[in-house]
Amino acid sequence: MKSYIQLFTAIYLVLALTACQKFLDVSPKDDVSDEQTITDKASAETAIRGMYRSLADNGYYGSSFQSNSYLQGDNLDWTDSRTVSLQFLQHNVRPDNDEVQTVWTAIYETVNRANYAIAKIPGVQDPLFPQSERDQLLGEAYFVRALAYFDLGRTWGGVQLVLEPTESIAASKDLTRSSQADTYAQVLKDLEAAEPLLPLTTNRVRATRKTVWALRARLHLYRGEWAAANEYADKLTTDITNYPLQSPYNSFFANNAVGTPESVLETSYSANNTNAHRSQWQPPANGGTRRWAPNAAFLALVNDPAIGGNRSAMVAQTAQGQWYGNMYYRSPATDPAYVIRIAELFLISAEAQAQLNNLDSARINLNAVRNRAGLAPTTATTQQNILLAIENERRLEFAFEPHRWYDLVRTGRAAAVTGVTDVNKYVLPIPIQELSVDKSLVQNPGYN
Amino acid sequence: MKIVRIISWITLVIPLHALSQQVPKPQVNAVVSGKVLDEKTQHTISGATIQIKGVTNSTTSNESGSFSLYTGQKLPFVIVVSCVGYQSKEQQVADTLISVSLSESVQQLSDVVVVGYGTGQRKNLIGAHATVKADEINHLPVASFDAQLQGKAAGVQINSNSGMPGDAVNIRIRGTTSINAGNDPLYIVDGVFINDNSLSTLDLGGKTTSPLADINPTDIENIEVLKDATATAIYGSRGANGVVIITTKRGSYNAKARVSLNVLAGSAWAPKDRWWKLTTGPEHATLVNEQWINSGIDNPALNQNFANRPFRSKAEGGRGLPEEQQTYDRLDDVFRTAQLRNYDLSVSGGTKTTRYYIGGSYSKQEADIRPAAFDRASFKVNLDQKISDRVTVGVSSLISRTFRNQVREGTGPQGGIMQAALHTPTYLPKVNADGTPGRWAGFDNLQVLIDNYNVGTRSLRYIGNFYLDAEILKDLVFHTSWGMDYNNYKESQIWNDKTLIGLAPTNGLVTSSITENATWINEQTLTYKKTFNSKHNFGALLGNTVQSNVLTVNGETGSNFPNNSYTQISAAATRTATQSWTKFNLASFFSRLNYNYDNKYFIEVSARADGSSKFGKNNHWGYFPAAGVAWRLKEESFLQSSKVISDLKLRASYGITGNQNGIGNFAAQGLWTAGDSYPDNTGGADKPGTGPQQLSNTNLKWEKTAQANVGVDVGLFNSRLNITVDVYSKHTTDLLLAVQVPSRTGFDSYTTNAGEISNKGYEVGINSVNIDNGHFTWTTNFTISGNKNLIQKLATPIVYGDRDLIRLEQGHPMYSFWMYKQLYVDPKTGNSVFEDYNHDGQITAADRQILGNASPKFFGGITNTLTYKGFDLSVLFTYQYGNKVVSFDRILGEGGGVKDDSRMILAYNLKRWQQPGDITDVPRVTKVGNNYSIEQNSRFMEDGSFVRIKSLSIGYKFGGRLLNKLGIEPLRIYVLGSNLWLHTKYQGPDPESSHGIDPQGIDVGTPPAPRSLQVGLNATF
Repeated sequence: MKSYIQLFTAIYLVLALTACQKFLDVSPKDDVSDEQTITDKASAETAIRGMYRSLADNGYYGSSFQSNSYLQGDNLDWTDSRTVSLQFLQHNVRPDNDEVQTVWTAIYETVNRANYAIAKIPGVQDPLFPQSERDQLLGEAYFVRALAYFDLGRTWGGVQLVLEPTESIAASKDLTRSSQADTYAQVLKDLEAAEPLLPLTTNRVRATRKTVWALRARLHLYRGEWAAANEYADKLTTDITNYPLQSPYNSFFANNAVGTPESVLETSYSANNTNAHRSQWQPPANGGTRRWAPNAAFLALVNDPAIGGNRSAMVAQTAQGQWYGNMYYRSPATDPAYVIRIAELFLISAEAQAQLNNLDSARINLNAVRNRAGLAPTTATTQQNILLAIENERRLEFAFEPHRWYDLVRTGRAAAVTGVTDVNKYVLPIPIQELSVDKSLVQNPGYN
Repeated sequence: MKIVRIISWITLVIPLHALSQQVPKPQVNAVVSGKVLDEKTQHTISGATIQIKGVTNSTTSNESGSFSLYTGQKLPFVIVVSCVGYQSKEQQVADTLISVSLSESVQQLSDVVVVGYGTGQRKNLIGAHATVKADEINHLPVASFDAQLQGKAAGVQINSNSGMPGDAVNIRIRGTTSINAGNDPLYIVDGVFINDNSLSTLDLGGKTTSPLADINPTDIENIEVLKDATATAIYGSRGANGVVIITTKRGSYNAKARVSLNVLAGSAWAPKDRWWKLTTGPEHATLVNEQWINSGIDNPALNQNFANRPFRSKAEGGRGLPEEQQTYDRLDDVFRTAQLRNYDLSVSGGTKTTRYYIGGSYSKQEADIRPAAFDRASFKVNLDQKISDRVTVGVSSLISRTFRNQVREGTGPQGGIMQAALHTPTYLPKVNADGTPGRWAGFDNLQVLIDNYNVGTRSLRYIGNFYLDAEILKDLVFHTSWGMDYNNYKESQIWNDKTLIGLAPTNGLVTSSITENATWINEQTLTYKKTFNSKHNFGALLGNTVQSNVLTVNGETGSNFPNNSYTQISAAATRTATQSWTKFNLASFFSRLNYNYDNKYFIEVSARADGSSKFGKNNHWGYFPAAGVAWRLKEESFLQSSKVISDLKLRASYGITGNQNGIGNFAAQGLWTAGDSYPDNTGGADKPGTGPQQLSNTNLKWEKTAQANVGVDVGLFNSRLNITVDVYSKHTTDLLLAVQVPSRTGFDSYTTNAGEISNKGYEVGINSVNIDNGHFTWTTNFTISGNKNLIQKLATPIVYGDRDLIRLEQGHPMYSFWMYKQLYVDPKTGNSVFEDYNHDGQITAADRQILGNASPKFFGGITNTLTYKGFDLSVLFTYQYGNKVVSFDRILGEGGGVKDDSRMILAYNLKRWQQPGDITDVPRVTKVGNNYSIEQNSRFMEDGSFVRIKSLSIGYKFGGRLLNKLGIEPLRIYVLGSNLWLHTKYQGPDPESSHGIDPQGIDVGTPPAPRSLQVGLNATF
């Protein structure tokens, strides 16, 4: 009896101790190891979708990137208790503003996801992964990286250009900031890489060759390359089958519309992945928090039938008389976020033509947008007046989208229009937390 | 690993080996019977243990105080008689019929105290312990026992955080050792390591529920707090924040069934004189107008002037003149007088071989704000059965059901009940002119919330174990136990279409989730105790334990319901679901050796090896040694005869404990997440997407705390005055830290070992019998503790909390407030003058400084208990000194009218600068400049020191022959009050209020700890 027990115990112990190491190896079920990430067609596809989800994240196009920008325009009022929002309206943003940090983090997360795809997809060994799809996914990654660096560049000036995925912290090296010009050059490089890889199809939630053209048009406009801006904008404005300007203005967002012909690129949301914009715009009466709202000056413009036209549909009023922005209103909050709309391409074309002194062409493109808004053709005739008319048109057309402030900065009109004379305030401060953990990063002037 | 193998061999083989041996039959040489009496009252004492000195043979006195002892020893011998609450007594026995009188213990030197994996006598302790008898505190109207400990145990700091019953409190034993790995002590209930992390998944505005509230405090016999390394290192990786051992009530052998009934009822309310003081409607309007005009002066581009001020007459298109505004009081609507009810019934007793305790309890506590309430029903069974003289088996089990009607306090605008009540501007009507509910400033209508709030949580909890004790050889005891902590936590949150969150177009929003936390734990120990030559006392402990924990969450959300009658998610048109699963395993081996010479010189060493699945492959195992020595001077010849000094002992210890709590179970692994779905085509549905989640760190390892402790225990005047003083120094290295990394990597942080924290402090506990003349007694219990915390090493500062109010920085204590220092308000201009810390001529983020922190310099409590004949009176004062509180309510509520209709204004804002010469700390109201745009203004940081009457009870015990004949022992009726008085400079309702557990010291929208009065009756049959 005694010896049996000892034998049994000995066997038990041997089993127990060999099992011990196994006992201490527990793997998660919610997530998977990062040792096998992009290995075949299916995993390449899921990684690309994950990259778009990051682009659509609430820190990026979902909300904060857009709001940090449009709050700096002159259309909104602060109706919140958080002075972080007020700082944007007052052009007095502090480096410890957490919304600035949120956007910085969200955009670089998108960059990292694009970098993963760019680094891994070419090497994937999968006979069932056709070259055409491989090219397409790779092209999409180049496009998204281009868009991310474009947004970083226009918000902060030149940034650190990270072009490799981060697979370990140890491998991450010091990196100095590039200039804004170099950042835009990288954007162009990525767009040039994406263009031949992508198919010439129409997809309003993902990048195609046409989406690349649209972003190129915008990039050339920002760089003052008028002919190129016009050339690439016209590639879409002339594609009236796929990109007609539909009337009235609200046809692209009212009645729960998604993916309308207006959208060159919009980010997509679902009940599981919602867009935070709605709750920030809608008043409490509609279940929102109304963190900001259209200001009196803008309301006067947008509600003037001769100026706002049918764009007045983007604002609404509660029974108690509170005005609010009404572009985002759905429940569940699946409102798309608009990255590039066809109206912008018409106005890019108009501006480029005006700069090239092709005033008639400029007026035609401008009037296309005015006509859609239910307005009479522009009365501007001189180059200067047409450019001013385009500026004002853009203010109303993209009131709740991230354009106005960037437009005023790139055209050198910010001081004249908003009274902000300190050019240092034309870009946002680098988040203070980034500076404290990254010695190779320097603050923008005027924010120390 | 070799050591581990040897230990496991010993723990498993020896007991089995021993069990297989034949147990010889005892031989009876003597039968001693007698009675145990209370020396003073001469009442019999039941449940006393009578043991023959030097051997293990023992018995227990029955309900009439009698006992019989059969022994193989020959007369005469010495017996040791001990009983909880009495001093143990050694008595020479020469006769077979004896009587033993015990005197009530004041000093508790011979009290049995619980230590890690065993018990010991207080006089032999080397480690720093604090013992709290549960019956001193367990009727306080806070739902969990940890909240009841405030002021009772030296070195244990407790902050109530909120007046909501059943919410988690903040508890720190000897300071804060960790940034990310958790700072709660380890809680052990009857040998089961229990979960104390909230399972709540709901957004409760920063608050969380306490899983400890599942345990009925009246089932607890004793709470032992282990503080220094000798006491805690046997718990290795779980011991760094101290260990709280809870022992529940058990029956007595040979005792008649004893039925105990306790009924307690009363009410609780938030004292009105401490509510927030708000501006009236006209005052609010005046401030808004004033800032409007001032802002217009400061920045003409705003085009703001007297003519277009918001509160001008309605005829001019304004909102009406300030004096025309109404004032709507919402605080009166939300606060209430809450009802408290508590019923406890227990039966305990035993036969010669069986003892039992059965307890049932129901408790209902309403919060001082509508409509929150906490309700708990629990059932407890403890059973012990002697199979033979050498083998005992038993179970401890606790089953409880708690139900909470919860509200969102703190932050979170839409469903936040305190926000709706407190933060809505007072001039805005509750009901609109058209009869619809008024919703303002992003908040819901208060009455709508009160009427429709339906956030319910149900927790089902089982904590229990099965054990077997076998004396396999003389002096060698084998113990095995299999325990379980299971918690099924169901939450449902119903926002119908009347509430803001559920309004059209959402048409009702319901979330429902079930969180399951299951831990199983198994342990084996071998305990050896032996005295050689009557002077060498030797003890050894060897053991192993394995445990595993799985946490799962299944949740679903539905919106778009047909109407409010449907609340099940299956009725919703839009449904989403989530599921998560996480697990960790822990395997441990431990040993302890102790030796004392003649009860004079004590030495103890212990070691534990812990293997955790949470860490990197290279660092699964951690080793935690400790050693302690003590010298009991009282036993030396020069003190033995001293009349003044009745006890004197010096203690010292050093050891290492670990921590692994707060980090994720898979923190060491590099992970990709799924769920980032996105469509492929325009108008298409989401398809699966993946992305990087966290970076791996295969070197991740244990956070370690080295602690040194020296202490002295002094007893004076025949133990009338007992003083315990401890001084300690804790140094934590290899902090488990979510280190911020540059975001350009695509990640914002990763978990690694970095940084060091130190805690140095002292604790003093004094017990004194001031008067005891037979009829009248007056005793005092006093604790004071101080702790100095410092971050010794941290490569980059970490900021967190709302508005980055908290900053962790090397050279500063944890939870330091990072603010702009307002020096004064310029009497000429009315502008805030901030300190230009870096002297660059402008006020930027670089001028923020660390200006104070949320930890007190010292804290404690004082209890005075007086008894006179049948009357008793007990008062507990608790206090805290030197901690700072940042009032977030003031940050939001002293917006100077800049926030217009989006936030209430506190009355303090009326002290703003108005004209040159005004001396005030409240700047001129304007939207322009820094006066109101810098929210992290140091003027919102206040002194949070306080003294309060935590509890006061007055009781009367009455007996009489009639009751006695009915078999009823004296009845006690009593009145119990809590928080009856508070002294503090803090402006808010309660200086203990905190937005969350971590960080501490930020107060926003939190209902204060209520004042309460209850009447109770205690009867025993």
